[in-house]
Formats: sequence, structure tokens, C-alpha cells
Amino acid sequence: MKERRVRRADLMLIAVLLAFGVVLALGNVLFSRAGQTAVVRVSGKVVAAYPLSEDREEEIAGAHGGFNRLVIRGGGAWMEDADCPDRLCVGMGVIRRAGQSIVCLPHQVTVEIVGPGRRDTDAVSE
Amino acid sequence: MKRFSFLIAAALVLSFLAGCSGASGRGASMTRELFAMDTYMTMTCRGENAEQALDAAEAEILRLDALLSTGSTDSEISRLNAEGGGACSEDTAALLRAALDAYRETDGAFDCTILPLMELWGFPSGTLHVPTEAELEHALTVTGSRHVSLSGSAVSMDPGTKIDLGGIAKGFTSGRLMEIFRSFGVESAIVSLGGNVQCLGSRSDGAGWRCGIRAPGDGASSDDIAGVVTVRDKAVITSGSYERRLTDEVTGRIYHHILDPSTGRPADTGLASVTIVSSDGTLADALSTACFVMGEEKAEAFWRERFDEFDMILIRTDGSIRVTEGVADAFVTSRPCAVIPK
Repeated sequence: MKERRVRRADLMLIAVLLAFGVVLALGNVLFSRAGQTAVVRVSGKVVAAYPLSEDREEEIAGAHGGFNRLVIRGGGAWMEDADCPDRLCVGMGVIRRAGQSIVCLPHQVTVEIVGPGRRDTDAVSE
Repeated sequence: MKRFSFLIAAALVLSFLAGCSGASGRGASMTRELFAMDTYMTMTCRGENAEQALDAAEAEILRLDALLSTGSTDSEISRLNAEGGGACSEDTAALLRAALDAYRETDGAFDCTILPLMELWGFPSGTLHVPTEAELEHALTVTGSRHVSLSGSAVSMDPGTKIDLGGIAKGFTSGRLMEIFRSFGVESAIVSLGGNVQCLGSRSDGAGWRCGIRAPGDGASSDDIAGVVTVRDKAVITSGSYERRLTDEVTGRIYHHILDPSTGRPADTGLASVTIVSSDGTLADALSTACFVMGEEKAEAFWRERFDEFDMILIRTDGSIRVTEGVADAFVTSRPCAVIPK
């Protein structure tokens, strides 16, 4: 009985990881040709993409009815506020470079910076 | 055990989907860094003989540097300049020939004889001197590649004329490095000779090399890029007014080092940088300077005559970008960008 429960949890974990991987890959394909963009996902689904070049403030409807307030200003993005229990996402600070991300686990919200950046390049011509 | 294999399989699939591919392919990837030709260089290549290839590449860089440096009095170029000509080595002759060809083909926009002008402005020493009209006129009488003739390996120059092959030496060298890599069986390599980039083949994952183009502009740091061009077997060489600038401490005016050979002053054409993409490193190096001097209109007309030899990415001082048709699909940027048609 104990053994079975663990296996089911494993399978669920695998499923979640796979879904996350698929979304990440899709996000890469969909947004790799854009500029620096903050891609917002809720429960693994892309719900919005905002260019970092435009200042804005957005309320994200997270899972379980929670909310996260995302601010984009001066080329950076951060979580200004959230009603999640741990508020770790608010403490993650500002992200601005391709590949950086903010994660709010309780609300299953992720914000990832996608686009050309030095991280993505093999060399820089100057 | 079954559970573990599931997890491992999931992890593998996940890492594949997320694009975090591990190192694979024949031979290990090796990187070498060195300072030469007054700049910082990195070379990365992959193949069974990568180490020997890098040794040979480094030796070749140091050899060419010793031939071509205008900063060292022992170099062949310094000797030619001091003696007003003489016999030179095969490599120096090849490079000088390329420089003289570029002068003719670009209608003087690329000129390897502007050293007296550069010295007048103080670029080699780093101490700015804003020249007077009379000083400029005098320096202009000895500049111009028409004052240089090359026959076989014999160079002759008019009195006062000096040559500096620094404007194409790095492109020439990176091209030579690709030949060396090939001779060692290396199929995948990328070098950056102080920001002059040239690559061989494709990356180990089979994709093209992703080469960023530095963002010009006062607020931009050397970390910022204006876009990324994906290439195979190409040199990607940029001339920008952000390099080697001297500031007049009294007026606050900034002078950049890309001089227009016809006026002797920093070229002011509304362009902040010009990037040339070509399979010929020497050509790319010469044309990045020449097209900067020409300005947008002339550079585009020039490209239309020779679109099979190179492509270019122009960044204006207002930050907007113009990219030629041949490389447009391989170029990604978040800035306003227009395609230059044939």
C-alpha cells in the first residue's frame, strides 16, 4: 500500500516535469526570435509575454485563486507583491538577462526572460 | 529499480526538451586565450587534434603580430616605414596587396596609409590633439594608397608616407586560423580576436554559431548586444565609433578613431557601427571600416554590386538597424530593423 502511493507520486512528478520541459521548449521556440521579453506562465501555460522595454504593472491570476503583481520598469522585471504564503517570489529581486527567472511555487507562476543576450551567444562582434 | 529508470528517463527527456544538451561530439572542446596584436583573443575549437591546432594557431598569431605591428620598431612594417620601402615577406605582401585592392575597390574609403593622420590626432599614444586645418592638409598630402606601390614583394612609398595594416590584420589572421584548424582536421571552431569574430563549421549541437553584435551608444556597456546573427563558416567583423575614443577635456567633445581618409577627420555619417558578414575575413575587416566611412547610402550601393561576397548590419546613431537581404533571416534583434533589398 505504502509502495503504491510513492509510485503514483513519482509518476505525477514525472508528468509535471515533462509538462514543464515541453512548455520551456515551446517557450524557447516561440520567443527566441523576439527581443528581451518577460514570459509569464501559470501552471506551465504561457499566459502573457511583455517586452522589457515597456514599463508596466500587471496583476497575474495564479493557481488556487492567488495573485502576483509583476512590475516591469527600466528594463527589469520583479514581483512587487503576492498573496502567497511564503512570498519567496517577492524576495527574488529584479531579473533582466535572458535565462533568468522568478518562480512562485504556491501559485505555480513563473516569469522568465527570453531573448537575445550575451548568455545566448558564442561570441560578440565589436 | 524501475522507478529509478523512469526518473532517469524523465530527466533525460526533460533536459532534451529544455535544450540543455550536454557535451557531445567527437573530441573535446578546448579554449585558448591570449593577448596579442594589442588585444585580447579567445579561440575555441573541437576535434581530436584541438590542442595541436590551438598551438599552431597561437604560434601563427605571434608570428604575424611580429611582422605587422606598428608599435614595435623591429617589425617588418616598421622597417618598411622607416626605410620608405624595401623587400617584404610573402605574408606582408599578401596583406598589403589586399589593402591596396580594398583602397581601389572602395574608392579610397579604406586606406592603409592613414597612420600619419592617426598619429596627428594622437590615437596611438592616447593623448588627443585636435589638429588645425593646416596640420590636416599637410598630413593629407602624404596619405592615400596611391603613394604606395607593390611589385611582387618589393614595396616603395613616397617620402613621408607610412603604412599600417592594422585595419585588416585581424581579419587576415582569423582567416588564416580557419585554414590552420582545417589542416588539423578541426571541423568546428570560433575565434574572437578582440571582437573580430570568425567561425568554422557549426557548433557541436549542429546549430550555427550565435554571434552577438555589440550595442553602440553612450549608455550601452560592452555587455549589451543589439542583436544576434547565426552563421556558419563566416567572419563577423564590426567597426564602431564606440572604440578607441578620445575626449577633449575642455569642450567635452568626443572623437572616435575611424577617420575618413578624404577629410582626415572622424567619419560622421550617422552610423554608430557597421558589421560585415563574409567568408573572407580580410575583406570583412576592410569593408567594416570602409562602409562606416562611406555612410549608409554609399555602403548600400556598394553592397548591391557585391552582394555575393558579403552582407552587412548597419546600426545608426539613433539605434535603428538596417540589414542586407542575405543575412536578414539569420539576424535577430528587438530593435527597429529594416531589410536592405538587392
